[in-house]
Amino acid sequence: MAFFLEGLTDAVQALLRLDPQVYAAAWRSVWVSSLALLLAGSVGVPVGIALARMSGPRARLLVIAIRASMALPTVFIGILCYGLFSRRGPLGPFDLLYTPWAIVIGELLLALPILIALTHGAIAALDPRVAETLTTLGVSRWQRCRTYVSEARRGIVVAVLSAYARCVTELGIAIIVGGNIKGRTRTLATATAMETGMGEFGRGLAMGLLLLLTALAISFAIGFLSREERT
Amino acid sequence: MTESLIRVRDLQVVRKGRPICSVAALDIAPGDRLLVQGGNGSGKTTLLRVLAGLERDYDGQCELCAREIRRVYVHQSPCMLRGTVLDNVTMGLRGNGHSRHDLRVHAGRLVEQVGLTSLLDRPARQLSGGEQRRVAIARALAASPELLLLDEPFADLDADGGDAVCCLLASRPEMAVVIAAPGDTPLEKDTRIHRLECSG
Repeated sequence: MAFFLEGLTDAVQALLRLDPQVYAAAWRSVWVSSLALLLAGSVGVPVGIALARMSGPRARLLVIAIRASMALPTVFIGILCYGLFSRRGPLGPFDLLYTPWAIVIGELLLALPILIALTHGAIAALDPRVAETLTTLGVSRWQRCRTYVSEARRGIVVAVLSAYARCVTELGIAIIVGGNIKGRTRTLATATAMETGMGEFGRGLAMGLLLLLTALAISFAIGFLSREERT
Repeated sequence: MTESLIRVRDLQVVRKGRPICSVAALDIAPGDRLLVQGGNGSGKTTLLRVLAGLERDYDGQCELCAREIRRVYVHQSPCMLRGTVLDNVTMGLRGNGHSRHDLRVHAGRLVEQVGLTSLLDRPARQLSGGEQRRVAIARALAASPELLLLDEPFADLDADGGDAVCCLLASRPEMAVVIAAPGDTPLEKDTRIHRLECSG
């Protein structure tokens, strides 16, 4: 117990004295995950909306496949990306391996099925009269898309924040294609694992606490933004 | 004789092996006023949905006699979209090059005609059922339809609301109006009546 309390004290001190190693890893986690989410969102949300408006066995099969890929282990995506980015891989000439961009692409692949599947679910759950009203009023495709997003905004917010939470806390992709290089590709998750492994329990715990705070903040944001509208 | 907007022949809609709507012949011309009457389950809503192009799984013919015509259907229980009354009424007009000021003026005029001027900036979902119905009718008229299909539009309107809607419809003599209702409704004198029998 004394070991744990000592570690906790060290962790709080590291956070309060703004330990550069801790905050550099935290900042990298935030910008890498945010960029991955931005790219994934700009594709995933429109695809989710389009998929919700499609019907037939092909669309259903596609939805099942995308839902299944939500559960892909991050180490699997990491290995897949490693194969793509390694010197002998198809994207080897771009020299992306062990750069933050490789982590961004890996996290993009992680976030994409979450965004597509949850956006699809949010749009498909809308009252069918919404689509019929828009059809009968003859609104443009762009206006229709905007209205769907507005009507299903709570579900889409949950999709975005869930994907972000998964990206910012993942370890497998960052360690396999990032390589945990100090000052370059070290993220909160990889740094936490490394510091703990090196016996720096306090610093590892500090990073773990930041991860926990991030997850809690996202969870509160989901709760706040997805609350029922007061009418 | 005026050419029809829509011609229906031997229409039958079958769901789960049971006919839910049957119409032998029906023609709707510009400016027509048609009341589709029938009891519960006679297929009034289904017929209006077929005429609106929202229901495509049927036997028989439902032909548009001209190019694509603007037809707007107002649900039995209208769907208010997120936003204010103004946002709802202008939904079908946005993106057509109208300025915000023009949209507000146009929506204001329609909302005034249905007797809801003071509610223009209120969230549409906070209105009562009767007020929402009037907003839905104003929203449909804002799209300038050639054929307006109203599913039980007087169901929860008070006398003033009903009068306001009737006056508004009377002010558009060039527009064909089809109303589905189970019994008598406050309509114009030259309204034709098409009775539907329970098909099941």
